[in-house]
Amino acid sequence: MFSKTSLATSLGRLVAALVLALVLTTLIVLIAGAPPLQTLAILVVGGLGSAAKLAQAAAVWIPLVLCSSALLLTFAAGLWNIGIEGQIILGAVFATGFLRPFPDGGSFLLVMGALMAGMIGGALWALAAGLLRTWGRVHEIFGGLGLNFVALGLTLWLIFGPWKRPGIASMSGTEPLHPTLWLEALGGSSLSPVSLLLALTVFLLVAFVLSSTQWGLRLKAVGQNQDAALLFGLNPQVRILEAMVGCGALAGLAGALQVVGVYHRLLPAISSNYGYTALLVAMLASFRSQIVPVLCFFFAVLNVGSIQLPLQLKLDSSLAGVIQGVLVLSFFLVQGFEERFRVLRRTE
Amino acid sequence: MRIEFQDIHKYYGRVRANAGISLVLEPGRIYGLLGENGAGKTTLMRMLAGHTQPSRGRILFDGESVGRLSPSRALGMGVGMLYQDPQDFPALTVWENFRLGGRRRDKRNAIQRLQELGDRFHFRLPPEERATELTVGERQQLDLLRLLDLGANVLILDEPTTGISVTQKETLFAAMNQLAKDQGRTIIFVTHKLAEAEELCQEILVLRQGRLAGQLLPPFRSDELVDLMFGSESGAGGEAGPKLQPNKNPFLSLEHAQLVGEKYALSNASLSIRPGEIVGLAGLEGNGQELLLRSLAGLTRVAKGRIIMGGEQLQGLPYVRFRQAGIHFFPAARLEEGLFPDLSLVEHFQLAFPTARGNPVERLSEEGIRRFRIHAQPFASARTLSGGNQQRLLLALIPKQIKLLLLEHPTRGLDQGAGKLVWHHLAERCRQDTSLIFSSADLEEIKTHSHRILVFYNRRLVADRPSQSISVEEMGRLMAGQATAA
Repeated sequence: MFSKTSLATSLGRLVAALVLALVLTTLIVLIAGAPPLQTLAILVVGGLGSAAKLAQAAAVWIPLVLCSSALLLTFAAGLWNIGIEGQIILGAVFATGFLRPFPDGGSFLLVMGALMAGMIGGALWALAAGLLRTWGRVHEIFGGLGLNFVALGLTLWLIFGPWKRPGIASMSGTEPLHPTLWLEALGGSSLSPVSLLLALTVFLLVAFVLSSTQWGLRLKAVGQNQDAALLFGLNPQVRILEAMVGCGALAGLAGALQVVGVYHRLLPAISSNYGYTALLVAMLASFRSQIVPVLCFFFAVLNVGSIQLPLQLKLDSSLAGVIQGVLVLSFFLVQGFEERFRVLRRTE
Repeated sequence: MRIEFQDIHKYYGRVRANAGISLVLEPGRIYGLLGENGAGKTTLMRMLAGHTQPSRGRILFDGESVGRLSPSRALGMGVGMLYQDPQDFPALTVWENFRLGGRRRDKRNAIQRLQELGDRFHFRLPPEERATELTVGERQQLDLLRLLDLGANVLILDEPTTGISVTQKETLFAAMNQLAKDQGRTIIFVTHKLAEAEELCQEILVLRQGRLAGQLLPPFRSDELVDLMFGSESGAGGEAGPKLQPNKNPFLSLEHAQLVGEKYALSNASLSIRPGEIVGLAGLEGNGQELLLRSLAGLTRVAKGRIIMGGEQLQGLPYVRFRQAGIHFFPAARLEEGLFPDLSLVEHFQLAFPTARGNPVERLSEEGIRRFRIHAQPFASARTLSGGNQQRLLLALIPKQIKLLLLEHPTRGLDQGAGKLVWHHLAERCRQDTSLIFSSADLEEIKTHSHRILVFYNRRLVADRPSQSISVEEMGRLMAGQATAA
């Protein structure tokens, strides 16, 4: 697990990793036969260039911040909650399920109810992974991964089975929600101010809980040393379940917001892999919650900018994913090198 | 092959594991290597087997220095080490394990060679069986045959008689004699069991505190060996604690308990403790004392029997209930089990005393830091503290109202001054009627501080005596499996 470092060191590491990532990306782009500078320019401008682009990036930023904040909880407790993808999906499923009985729309209270339902769905899915870990001795990585596939299967079954649109069951998802059940978005974009506010609040809340409450301290203690946590009477197994449930609830909230705020229906790919991206963010942040929003924004811009790649350069948009991966690998490389030099210095 | 150790030193950080060991091992002999835990036996053997390098000094093979050894290089030179835990792959069959690391052979060839070698020593190993199905003794035989097949001329056996049957032991000893006498190989038998060393060896080497304390030829005298092994430590004991108040009734008892740990069990242990009593546990590591401490703390399973405290049965209850009953466990591995490496001192206090919130926590930690003489800032992380400071932090975190304090090696790794501080504090606790049970590798420490002493040997409680009626020498004898009447 990561150890806590000073802000300066982690920022320095990040910069070094960025430089390394830039070099590696340039190499990859060159191999793909594209002009590297132009590619990078498109990625950045494509995500920042106009108000509309910025709104798009902000819309991506919301689920990323929610999920990264959620993962701060599990990371603090020393857990690798890979199952966050499934938890997002279950949030979306529960929210959709909650709103399905109201095809003619309703009040804002219903939307709030859907968000609550989403949180419960995500929390239950996370609780399953947590119980597998504490009772079944299945590591949360494997349990989570398995549950992700189950969640995906569940959505597909719902979309093509019991919740299929009359006449046409298709990958385009379930019947759209009544417009009164949509979260209001800023003109023409999919950016909802309510979601933005929720994401910000959740982030601040998690940061506060982790830095200033007894419960947050207990989670960190469990993450640092489970044996000692047991001896201190901190009930590590219960803390692990709490962290999982908390994380799942927030991930479920992200999923529910994708339904009521962005797509207005349940889609097969409703999570857009934001869970995995958030895992990268949480790893990069390594306990420094302050830099989570910045990192999320960076990834959101990349995400939105990459849509321009096929249009302008005939490159595949998956390049954004490659860059994200390269960035994370670079970060760990930098960390690894640092460790190596420290060991060398010590032995000399 | 003749092996010569020349002035071998080995340091791990500030810990000195070997300090200037020089000795010669001749072929065709069985050497016994004796010493208590931490005397440096394993370190010395690991260097010969190439697992670690000496900090200073060299090892000569037939008078020649071979430079840096690695495990495979050492094996190439003919040095093979048989570990306490057999080094096999449980999921593979016997013949597959046998073939590993050796010459390329097909199955028929491998089985043939295995049986040929096995017959010589009367080892009967089923070639198609998986290693998991074998007993520890059989796995050891398999390991030994593998090493012989690889051409090992110098065989190191690390505590080979732990966990094997009497018959297996006899077979093993016969094999060792045969290997040394008929085949001229060098055998090094690492043990703490005196009787076995006396029975088997042509020469016994005793290590104490990283030095060669003695090199003896038969006839061996047990009391001389015990003396060399345990010696009289130089005043590490310090002052004795408070007197035991006589008229207090036991508040805790362990009745005919069978205690089950991860690696072994301790059966039929009975014990009762009075308020303010200090009980010292003597025994070589892995002989039962750690299990007793952990069972009384509620950390390991009690399969049979009862733990009764203040009329309440505790066995089978979760650890939290033991804690609520006023039992506190103090682990030997400070950073691994006792503290949170990256949390600060203040955060530790916050976790240990959750009712004091906000500012009181800082006051509490500052007071704790002063009272326990922890030389560190309140916001320093536990990882950055020295061993002594970590120990004092652990002490400072013990709740106020404790009835029973269970300590594993309370002064291990501490210098004399730091050790004295620890005992000063523990004595203070005893005056307030807290009972202590502690284990230690330092027999003087046990003798000095205990009201009562329990000795463990071979996973059994072999003695329970008032401190006045047992000497350090006798403890040593009992720990090494020698009868009391000596």
